[in-house]
Amino acid sequence: MDIAGVADFDKSMARIDAWYQSQILDRPPVRFMAHNAFLQQASEDISQLSSADRRAWWFDVETQVGLFAKSVEGRRFYGETFPVFFPNLGPEVYAAFYGAELVFGEVTSWSVPLIGDWQDMDRLAFDRNNIYFRKLEELTKCALERSQGRFMVGYTDLHPGIDCAAAWRDPQQLCLDLFDAPEQVKRLTQIAIDDFVEIYDHFDAMLKASGQLSVSWMGLPSRGKMHIPSADFSSLISPDFFKEFVLPVHRQELGGMTHNVYHVDGKGVARHMDDIIGLGDVHAVQWVQGVGDDQPIMQWLPLIKGLQQQGMPVIVDLNKKELPQFIEAMSPEGIFLWVAADDEEEEQRLLKLVEGWR
Amino acid sequence: MKAELELIFEAILDGNMPGCTSGVQAALDAGISAPDILQIALIPAMDEVGKLFEEEEFFVPEMLVAARAMQAGLSMLKPLLVDSDVKPAGRVALGTVSGDLHDIGKNLVGMMLEGAGFEIVDLGTNVAPDRFIAAINDQNVQLVAMSALLTTTMPGMKKTVDAIAAAGLRDQVKIMVGGAPVNAEYAAEIGADGYAPDASQAASLARRLAP
Repeated sequence: MDIAGVADFDKSMARIDAWYQSQILDRPPVRFMAHNAFLQQASEDISQLSSADRRAWWFDVETQVGLFAKSVEGRRFYGETFPVFFPNLGPEVYAAFYGAELVFGEVTSWSVPLIGDWQDMDRLAFDRNNIYFRKLEELTKCALERSQGRFMVGYTDLHPGIDCAAAWRDPQQLCLDLFDAPEQVKRLTQIAIDDFVEIYDHFDAMLKASGQLSVSWMGLPSRGKMHIPSADFSSLISPDFFKEFVLPVHRQELGGMTHNVYHVDGKGVARHMDDIIGLGDVHAVQWVQGVGDDQPIMQWLPLIKGLQQQGMPVIVDLNKKELPQFIEAMSPEGIFLWVAADDEEEEQRLLKLVEGWR
Repeated sequence: MKAELELIFEAILDGNMPGCTSGVQAALDAGISAPDILQIALIPAMDEVGKLFEEEEFFVPEMLVAARAMQAGLSMLKPLLVDSDVKPAGRVALGTVSGDLHDIGKNLVGMMLEGAGFEIVDLGTNVAPDRFIAAINDQNVQLVAMSALLTTTMPGMKKTVDAIAAAGLRDQVKIMVGGAPVNAEYAAEIGADGYAPDASQAASLARRLAP
C-alpha cells in the first residue's frame, strides 16, 4: 500500500505485525501523536459556536473530511505513524444508535441518558436509519472517495457493553443499579452488545470493499479485524463487579476479531488487568498512564514489565522527556511507543534514539 | 457504642438505606439525641467508608450506596439538629468548573463532605467563576471546592481562583481542588489552599481548612 508521506508503509506494517506477536523486526514500533491536529485547520473557533452550530459543524461531512485532508497534506509521517481518518461523533455514539441524543463540545460529545425507568429498555432498538449511524456512513463514504493514496480510513470509536449502558442510564445511577437492580443491569448490557457484531461488520465491510485495512482512532492497522475494547466505567467498580457485569459482555464483544487492543485508561481500569488478560482474546493492551499524579511513566514500570513477562504486547504513551529514562530501564520486547513530538526533525531524532534500544 | 447506634453504623457501611432510617428511628425512640446520632454513628460511619475506599475495599458504587443510606438518616435528623443548635462543620460551595460536565466525582465529594458534617451548596457542573463568587457573596460559604476531569477544563480552576481574588473575596474563603488531572503541585501553582486526590481525602482536607 502506498500512502502519501509514508516512506515505507509495508516495512512499518511488518514492524506492527511483528509487534502483534511480541516480536521485534528491527526496532519497536513508534507512533508520533498529534491529538486533534485537524482542528488547527478550522477557520472558526469551535468552542465559541452555539450548541446548534457546533452540532452542525460536527455533522458537516465536507468540513470534517476536508479539514482532515488539509491537515495531512504535504506532511511526512515517521515511524509507524499513518494518516488515518476515522469518522468521529464522539465516544458515546454507540449509545446514540439506539436513540440517545448527543451534545457536542469542541473535541468530544456527551450523550443524554434515556433510561429513566427500566421499562424504557423496551424502547431500545438499533436502527440503521438512526441519524448518527447514517452520518457515520456518510463520513465514511466521503472519506473513502477522497482518501485515494492520501490517507487511510478507519471505523468509528465503538463502546458497546457497560460503557454504553452507563451512557444510557447515567454512570452514577448505574453504580447504584449494580446493587439495586443487578438483573436489569445485565439485561441492559446485553442489549448494549447484541448488535455489536452487525454494527462493526457493517463499517468493516465498507472499508474492506475499498481496500482499506482494519484501523480506528489508534491509527494501528490490522490486516484482519482490529477492535479496541474498553470499559472506562470499570474504573469505578470492584473486581467482583467487573467479573459479574463486564466480563460476560466482553466475551461476546471480543470473539471473531483478529486483533483486540484493549484500551486500559488509567489505574482504575488497570485494577482489572488480570481479568482482562484472562479473557484470552485480548491480543495487546494500550496503557494510558493518565495525568496529574499518574505521571511520570516510571511509576508504571512494574505494570508494563508484568505485561511483558506474560508476552502481552503493550502500547506505552509517554512524554518525550520520559523516553531516555524509559529506554534505559526497560527492554523493548512487546513495546509500542506513542510519543508527541514538536516537529518532523524531533520525530526523526526520537526515532534514532529508539533504533539504538536493545 | 450503643446497640442502636451500632446498627446505624453497620447499615451505612452495608449501603442499607431502610436499615439506616429504621435505625435512626429506633435510636430516637430510645431517647438518643440527634446530635449524638450524628456524631457517634453517621459521621464515623462515613469516615469508615472513606477509609475503606482509600484501602480499595470499597469502590464508587459501595461509596454511593453508603452515602445514600447516610443521607436518608441525616434527612430525618436535620429538623432536630436545627432545634438542638448544632453548628455544621462549615458551608462549602461545590462545583465542576466551566466547560466540564462530569459530575460523579463532584457528587461523591459532596456526599463525603455532608457525611463529615458540612453543609453543601452544590452549584452543579459547568460552573463559571461568577457563580462561585455569587455563592460566596450570597450564601456565606467558607470553603470553595472545585473539580475538573479534563486537562482542557483545568484552567477554569485558575480563572475561578483569580476571579475570587479580583472580587476581593479571597480572604473570606479557603479553596480546595481535585479531579483526575489535578495534583498538589497544580493546586499550589494556581493559588488554591489545598488538593485532595479523592472524595474521602476531600472530607479530611475540608476539616483541616474549615475555620
